Amino acid sequence: MKEETGTSFLSFDGVSKFYLSRGRMLGGSGRQVVALNRLTLDIRKGEIFGLVGESGSGKTTAGRLIVRLEEADRGIISVEGQDVTHLKGKRLKDFRKRVQMIFQDPYQSLNPQLSVLDTVSEPLLIHRVGDRLSRAEMVMNALQSVGLSPPGDFVHRFPHQMSGGQRQRVAIARAMVLRPDFVVADEPTSMLDASISAQIFNILLEMQKSLGITLLFITHSLAAARYLCDRIAVIYRGNLMELGPADDVIQRSRHPYTRALIDALPKFGQCGETERFNTFLKAERESSSTVGCAFFGRCSIANRILCSQEVPPFKTVSPGRRVACFFAEEQGKNLTASKTCHYGI
Amino acid sequence: MALLEVEDLSIGYRTRLGLHRAVEGVSFSLEEGKSLGFVGESGCGKTTVGMSLMGLLPRNGEVLRGRVLFEGRDILSISEEELRLLRWKKISMIFQAAMNALNPVKKVADQISEAILAHSSSVPKAEASRQVEGLFQLVGVPKERMRDYPHQYSGGMKQRAVIAMALACKPRLIIADEPTTALDVIVQAQILEETRLLQEQLGISIIFISHDISIVADVCHDIGIMYAGELVEYGSREEVFDSPAHPYTRALLSSFPTLTGNREMLKPIPGEPPNLVDPPKGCRFRERCQEASHECSLISPAWTELFPRHKVRCIRFERKKGPQ
Repeated sequence: MKEETGTSFLSFDGVSKFYLSRGRMLGGSGRQVVALNRLTLDIRKGEIFGLVGESGSGKTTAGRLIVRLEEADRGIISVEGQDVTHLKGKRLKDFRKRVQMIFQDPYQSLNPQLSVLDTVSEPLLIHRVGDRLSRAEMVMNALQSVGLSPPGDFVHRFPHQMSGGQRQRVAIARAMVLRPDFVVADEPTSMLDASISAQIFNILLEMQKSLGITLLFITHSLAAARYLCDRIAVIYRGNLMELGPADDVIQRSRHPYTRALIDALPKFGQCGETERFNTFLKAERESSSTVGCAFFGRCSIANRILCSQEVPPFKTVSPGRRVACFFAEEQGKNLTASKTCHYGI
Repeated sequence: MALLEVEDLSIGYRTRLGLHRAVEGVSFSLEEGKSLGFVGESGCGKTTVGMSLMGLLPRNGEVLRGRVLFEGRDILSISEEELRLLRWKKISMIFQAAMNALNPVKKVADQISEAILAHSSSVPKAEASRQVEGLFQLVGVPKERMRDYPHQYSGGMKQRAVIAMALACKPRLIIADEPTTALDVIVQAQILEETRLLQEQLGISIIFISHDISIVADVCHDIGIMYAGELVEYGSREEVFDSPAHPYTRALLSSFPTLTGNREMLKPIPGEPPNLVDPPKGCRFRERCQEASHECSLISPAWTELFPRHKVRCIRFERKKGPQ
């Protein structure tokens, strides 16, 4: 993206991923589900980039493609100019040392039979880093940096002896212990208490600052994204809808889907009369999955003919700001929330 | 008279390590047609309170003390058979993780009509399925989907079906335990809105249980904040949100971001809740409290009434009020 500044660290170039629905596997006619549709975006070195959307939007798929839990069907993913889309063997292993993932559910992502020490030192063993003593030291440091202190109290614990928040910290320590350049955090707080989420967010912010790690933060909450991210992209059914600096996308949203996500956030505090955008249709209208705008079926401002037939281009509306909507320029209304209104994460 | 009156309810779980005092001296009342939200971290006892109202405590759980008056009758001392008659007809529940609350090998409509038939033997089958149709309409699931199995439903539709089931016998009270936790932000907003409308239209009382204070903000008339088994603040939604008094409530509120203005650092609550097998003396929140003083470790704070519908258990307010 030439109009933007900052060095690109990771880029998606026309990346698509398809899944076959189950019918096919059972010998039926089967339907192809498009999880990602020609995703193109850049994540800059050192930033926290937010990918925001509801379940089924393809946001998790995008993360899994990066760490190569899945392979893209089309397009190129590159890291610092190097094509990593289909790496294999030793090169893939070396790549994975640089790119780590934090999963959604710390109740499932940790092996119940491994102690914290074993869990966090496993990546070091796999990548043959250091000797026993230096590995133990690296584990201690990693635990300390995620706020599990004193680390000596935690190294011999097993997952069932820890709270959800503590488990997720262990998962973060495990991702960070190799000092990766890039980390994918896939809804790292959705299984945790709301009051614990802030702790996890602050740890991620600290990681970005002190270690210079680039982060992809995947979430369904624009409020969480605004707190953590430098830039965000909003994605719906595999298609990018809106992209830009976090504050700008949220406070001056131009896409009706972004606005639906803002309307949906629960809020409290001195919110006053926050005006709603009401861009989301209660009853989904019939739409084609192959032609027209992906959001047509749910959009209250759609033009029935234009939007059902043509895919809106992902056009630049201002420097660094892109929106895939025919009516982006006409959406003048900005967010009117007060500064004392708090939103759910 | 209030529909539900809970007095000094204490509940414990027998564990290998000793008696886990999950709920300690909880009192509240709920008027007909009102909604009350219980908020607190996992392990604070909010689900245990809900389960005890349904008489559904696990085997090792035991009510140690207190009374639960529903329609004026103490439901803790009635027989299992009387309780069975009360359950679902008068008090029903929307369970946590709705996806697992439905039977996977039975059609959704059949499961709901089963609930109706089990509780009103006089209703003919045809009438029951007519009622189910009405319920589907009420919660916004298209009636073509009545004969589907749960796995054919999306998460939001399953949640709606579970709500329909809770409404099946026209109860007076519904206990909703984290009804939106596994749902997406957009579906969550729809379910919350629908719950609020249903509650207004049908005049049902609801107890809403959540770890997320932002969820109950829109739905509940009154809010109770629970910490480590105890109720620490209780009041109308407006009072609690506009002038939160307990340090824990204020800490909970400050862990949520804003969308406008400067991005201020969120201040998470440090530490972990105490072990309830051997709960600390004095105020249970004191170890994590920014404002704790030496006194907090000595005295267990009593309720202080700040306004007629707003009370708090924190020693700072006792002192301010002075001896009566």
